[in-house]
This record gives sequence, C-alpha cells and structure tokens, in this order.
Amino acid sequence: MEQFRVTPLIPLHIGGYDVSFTNQALVMCVIVGLISLFTVMALTKRQLVPGRMQSIAELTYEFVGNMIHSSAGDAGYRFFPFVFTIFVFVLFANVMGLIPGVFTVTSQIAVTFALAMLVILAVIVTGFIRYGFGFLKLFVPKAPLVLLILLVPIELISFLTRPISLSVRLFANMLAGHTMLKVFAGFVISLGGAGGILSVLSIAPMAMIVAISALELLVAVLQAYIFAILTCIYLNDALNLHESH
Amino acid sequence: MAEPAHTTAGTEVPAEPGGFPPFKTETYPSQLFWLTITFAVLFVVMWRVALPRLHSVVNDRKGRIDGDIAAAQKSRSDAETASQAYDAALSSARKRAQALANESRQAINAEVDKARAKAEAESAALMAEAEKRIGASRDAARQHVEGAAQDAAIAIVARLTGDQVAADEAVSAVRASQV
Repeated sequence: MEQFRVTPLIPLHIGGYDVSFTNQALVMCVIVGLISLFTVMALTKRQLVPGRMQSIAELTYEFVGNMIHSSAGDAGYRFFPFVFTIFVFVLFANVMGLIPGVFTVTSQIAVTFALAMLVILAVIVTGFIRYGFGFLKLFVPKAPLVLLILLVPIELISFLTRPISLSVRLFANMLAGHTMLKVFAGFVISLGGAGGILSVLSIAPMAMIVAISALELLVAVLQAYIFAILTCIYLNDALNLHESH
Repeated sequence: MAEPAHTTAGTEVPAEPGGFPPFKTETYPSQLFWLTITFAVLFVVMWRVALPRLHSVVNDRKGRIDGDIAAAQKSRSDAETASQAYDAALSSARKRAQALANESRQAINAEVDKARAKAEAESAALMAEAEKRIGASRDAARQHVEGAAQDAAIAIVARLTGDQVAADEAVSAVRASQV
C-alpha cells in the first residue's frame, strides 16, 4: 500500500497543523503546471486552423461546454471555469497516476471528498442565492401530500449522500485499479523469482498488467468525465429547480 | 492533529505498516492545504487566462465561418439576381427586335404594294393608250381600205358595165361584202 502513502518532502507547520510539502503536493503542483502550460501554450499562436495542441485544448473546451449545456442549460455557463477546472484537474490527476512511480492524487479520500464538498457547497450557495428559501422546494417533489411524508426524507437523504457517493466513486475506482495493478505486479515478481517453469509463467500476469493498464486509462478518463457531469447535474438542481435539461 | 510536535506521517508509517494510507487523518491537513492552494491557482489560471483565450479563439473561428458563409450566400443571391436581370434584358431585347422586324416588314410590304399598284396603274394606262392608238390606226386603215375598195368597185363596175355607180351605192356594197 505504499503507493498510496503521503510522504513529506519538505516539512512545514503552520498554526499547529502539519502542512508539509508532500509527494502528493508535488504531483498536484505538477498537474497545475502541466495544465496551465498546456492550455496557455496551445493558444500562443491562436491559429484559425488549429494545430494539434490547439485542437486538443479546443476539443476539451467544447467538450466541457457541451456537457454543461446538455445537463444544466444556458444558465450553467456561469460555472464553466469551475466545471472545466474540476474536469481537467481530476483528469490529469487520474491519468498521471497511471505513470509508474507517480503518486495518484485522486486515490486519497481527503482530496476527492474535498472536491465533492466544494461541488455541493457551490450547489447550496447558488441555490440559496438564486431562489432564497425557495431552494428548499428541491426536497419537495410534485406528489400527493401523503407520499411527501415518504418522499421528502428520501430526497433529503439522497441530497446529503451526494458528496459521499461522488467522492467515494472516484476514490474507490482509483484505489482499486492501482491495487489491482500492484497485485499482478507482485505475481510477476514472485513467479519470476521462483525459478524454473514458474519464471516462464510470470508472463501471464505481465500480460494482465498490460490489459489492466489499458482498462485503467479508460477508467481514469471516464471517472473524470463522471465527476464533471455529476457536478453539472447537481448544479442544474440549483440553477433550475425541478427542471431537467 | 492538535499536536504540532508530533512526528509526520511519512516517518511514522514504516513503523506501523498496518494503517491504510488514505485513512491516515494526520495527513489530511497537508492534503487539504495543498489541494486548496493548487486548485485555487488552477482555477484562477483557467478562469482568467486559459478559458477567455479559448473562448475568443473558438468564437473568432465561428464568427469567421459564419461571416464567410453569409458572404457566400450573399454573392450567390447577387449572382442569381444578376442572371435574372440579364435574362429579363435579353428577353425584352428579343421582343423589341421582333417588334422592329415586324414593323419594318410591314412597312416594306406596304411600300412594295404601293409601288406595285402604281406600276400596275401606269402599265394599265399605257396599255389602254396603246390599245386606243391601235384601234385608231385600225379604223384609219379600215377606212382607207374601204375607200380603196369603193374606188375599185366603182372602177370595176364602170369597166364591166359602163355604168356610173354612185359613191353611196358603192359604199353600201363594200360594207355588205365585208360582213
């Protein structure tokens, strides 16, 4: 489990808290640097007919734009920078974690839960700013009064569990994928070290690692997408009460 | 967490490998601290620098394409109007040319008819005059012949019978023989 261990590189304490610069912090800084470099560099030329880098940046931009529009409508564009940042941050964190030896930021429940809470807080704040206490109508679906006794607690619980499901989904996916890779890698080493015919057999778990790596790449991108689209859907609750897009 | 003097997570973990790293709460302050900083920086960079640029590039292109399409459509409709105008001009010119041709043909026909009528009238007059003249000379010739026949008849009668025939008698006799 040492690939999930947060180890301090530069010890640092502020106000009694241990806020050391860790391997995780280093990777997060690299992520921010890479994304900034990528998005800013891609647009230095501002070509009418985009080159490769510019195409990727534009595709990402339009992908997130479509995602917001399809799930939260025009009002959702106000949250474009927010959703875009969440998407690219999670995407880069997930994908970079696949590089052997690189710490996976999103395999930490603290990080995913903090991101999920940020989303839910954004939803709650937006909802109350937009609708005042009318935002509480979100928990009261259009149904007969008798059913409401049942439905309101359900809605309330489903809303309150959102940060948990949102964060645990990403965390567990990353954790499980990396653990699985580690387990198969362990097989390769123990089989290879066993000598004789068993050493030859170690090629089987090696092939599995290759296959799982491909799967994990898919999972990494998919989970970033899921995180971002759920963010949009939750924001839609705050922007358009009971109106689906 | 409340004890700052406590050793950090990293140095602690090798001593107790049983702890599941993501659940080690002593690492949370550091994780959240750096997450906040990096995420905030990324958000500001995206919000203030990257996304406005992307937005302007994508919109510029969209505007350019839309403008070009609009210009192309305008050119096409212009060309269509021009071709319609050309067709209209062509057909009106053709009509006018036809009208002109008709008119001049009628004028020429009328002139030709007039000229023919005049020529015919002239030739008719000439012919009538010629006929009159022929008739006159024929009458003159006949009188001449009649006179000669009269004289001859008188002379013949005088030679054969010795009688002197009156001129009136001779004339009527000649006339009777002519019929």
